[in-house]
Amino acid sequence: MEQLASIAFLFGVIGYSAAATLFFVDLARKEGAQKLVRVAPWLLAAGATSHLVHLVSASFLSRICPVESMHFGLSFTALIAAWIFLAIRRKYKFNALGAVVAPGALTFLISAQFVGRQTINSDIPPVLLALHVTSNLTGVALFILAGAGSVFYLIEERRLKQRRVSWIMNKLPPLSALDRTAHRLLLAGFPFLTFGVVSGGFFAGNLTDASGAALLRAGLAYGTWLIVAAVLLLRALAGFSGRRAAYGTVAGVTCILLVILLYILKPGLGGSL
Amino acid sequence: MIVVVGLSHKTAPIAVRERLAFDKERAAHLLQQATASGTLSEALLLSTCNRVELFVAGKDGSDATAVDVAQAAMSLLTQGAPELAPHLYSHGGNLAVQHLFRVASSLDSMVLGEPQILGQLKQAYEHARVCGSVGASLHRAVTRALRTAKRVRTETSIGAGLVSVPSVAVDLAKQIFGDLSGKVALLIGSGEMAEAVARLLQAAGARLSVLGRNRERVAKLAQSVAGQPRSWDELPEALKEADMVISSTSAPHYVVTRELLKEAFRARRARSLFLIDLAVPRDIDPETNDFDGVFLYNIDDLSKVVSESLDARKQEAESAERIIANEAAEFERWVDTLQVTPTIVALRERFRLVLEGELERSLRGRLKHLGAVEKDALGRMLEASLNKLMHAPSTFLKKAAADPSLDEAPLELVVSHLSAAFALDDENALASLRAPAVDLDSNPCNPSVALRPEAHTGTGNQ
Repeated sequence: MEQLASIAFLFGVIGYSAAATLFFVDLARKEGAQKLVRVAPWLLAAGATSHLVHLVSASFLSRICPVESMHFGLSFTALIAAWIFLAIRRKYKFNALGAVVAPGALTFLISAQFVGRQTINSDIPPVLLALHVTSNLTGVALFILAGAGSVFYLIEERRLKQRRVSWIMNKLPPLSALDRTAHRLLLAGFPFLTFGVVSGGFFAGNLTDASGAALLRAGLAYGTWLIVAAVLLLRALAGFSGRRAAYGTVAGVTCILLVILLYILKPGLGGSL
Repeated sequence: MIVVVGLSHKTAPIAVRERLAFDKERAAHLLQQATASGTLSEALLLSTCNRVELFVAGKDGSDATAVDVAQAAMSLLTQGAPELAPHLYSHGGNLAVQHLFRVASSLDSMVLGEPQILGQLKQAYEHARVCGSVGASLHRAVTRALRTAKRVRTETSIGAGLVSVPSVAVDLAKQIFGDLSGKVALLIGSGEMAEAVARLLQAAGARLSVLGRNRERVAKLAQSVAGQPRSWDELPEALKEADMVISSTSAPHYVVTRELLKEAFRARRARSLFLIDLAVPRDIDPETNDFDGVFLYNIDDLSKVVSESLDARKQEAESAERIIANEAAEFERWVDTLQVTPTIVALRERFRLVLEGELERSLRGRLKHLGAVEKDALGRMLEASLNKLMHAPSTFLKKAAADPSLDEAPLELVVSHLSAAFALDDENALASLRAPAVDLDSNPCNPSVALRPEAHTGTGNQ
């Protein structure tokens, strides 16, 4: 089992590295390298499959549920993001996002090895805790993709405004598609985040050692929820879209990334993910 | 040897090119004439708006030189219009092949890297094939040209970017909106380029509105582009509905001002707006580009994109030329190996006859008792031996033929020595070896085992 976990980890690293390189080469070339684009998602899929095998075998080895540890949680988020990207890539013709997802997944896969392996100790029933964490991780994965889409939107919009268009032609999806994709990903992630925030609030009563960092983390999580809710509401009611919506999405995703950073820097806060 | 005779946009003005242009029927007639002539064995006619070229191959074994072949092709091409002859160019041998590869790869096109020529060459080849005027040489040359063009397209960025203002405008619209179906394009004023942009947008699925001061002209233009005519007073309203605006009026001041757009923006609910200003002096206030979701491009901006694409293509042309030179050299090597193919075939036939003769003799004598299975096994064994025997001389001859440092004279000497050593030209010697073939099934008492003479003649792809 240990060997399987190590081999799967190695294949995951190789798959993600190769996919990341190809996505970057495709993005950097003047004319999109069609052959590379065809191979890169397969490599990413191979990396994600190995990642999954590694996650399952390693969690069996350490007898930890993947969503009950910071170490596996980070890895799990990257894995979900990779699979969501692979699922939506074809529909939205959004290969450029691979240049963010593949290195991101690689970073989480590797860095998670060095993060403290503590499990979450609390009085919360394990099933509820697993639901809470899984929901949060899925929401985070969707938000990260939405954030990346919004960043691409801002880059493309800026280049179009400045009439520096040669690079973006045939490389990035149309602006409207980027806007729509980010919106849909945000919309898909919102129920997960909402469940996470509500259940987190409910569980907070069970926590006995809420520190300052834990409070900051909770505050950022609520902030994220508020920003995302505001973006979605303004989109629906006031036709809020384009650059302003992209900035809103990026702000929300920044908050959620700060929450993750807090978990990495201050592990064992006595709270759930 | 392949020869090309023709004219193109580089050597003849359109008035000359249109006189020589061929439709399908005339082209078929010309191809039939070419193959019926005593000098030419193969012909292919490429007739497009930018070029008319006749690719031909001389008859095998004929004494005609490349000049004779070119002369024959030229006479055919200019029959009825000999005054066009001065506009024609001709290339022979490797130069003709290189020219074909350059044409297929769009390096000789008016717009460098345009993709249409490849389809036109395929059609010309298919037409010639149907007319029965394509043989081994042209087939090989054209398939190699298509392969080269594909390599050039995939290994270089010769086809990258857009090279006309209307196509750049439409591509930008697609980069902003994606699918243009149902999007509204507002055409303000008239002008050739504005109309071209409008037509392309419409072809991409956009709905057109035409707006101008002169009602009659607007109605006429709207009819010609299948758009909706609108009066000048409706401009503020039309701006609220439009997704794209193409403006090309002769007004000395801004037609679409910042204030006008600001007013329209409240109703637009932050929808993106693509403004294309093709007028000089400009029609659209440059400050409108500051609005969120507004993208303003004037004629200079669009021309700059075109010029960047053309520059990039010119840079890529150098890499493309290298690919073409490489492929043409490969083709030449293949042509060279054709010189030794008859010798290889004759040598193989010689060996085959010797082996078959000996086998026949043994099967009538000491090996008479062998059954069909054993005889078949013997046949296969001899076949394998023949292939092994032939491998070294075939490789040697092909290498010698393809060796650029070797002149024709030493190669001919090798071939003649080989012919003398194995009596390849001696028909009597060969005839004495040919045993009377007996069908295995028809006479089981006196069977013969034959090797497959068609196998491994050594003329495969090089």
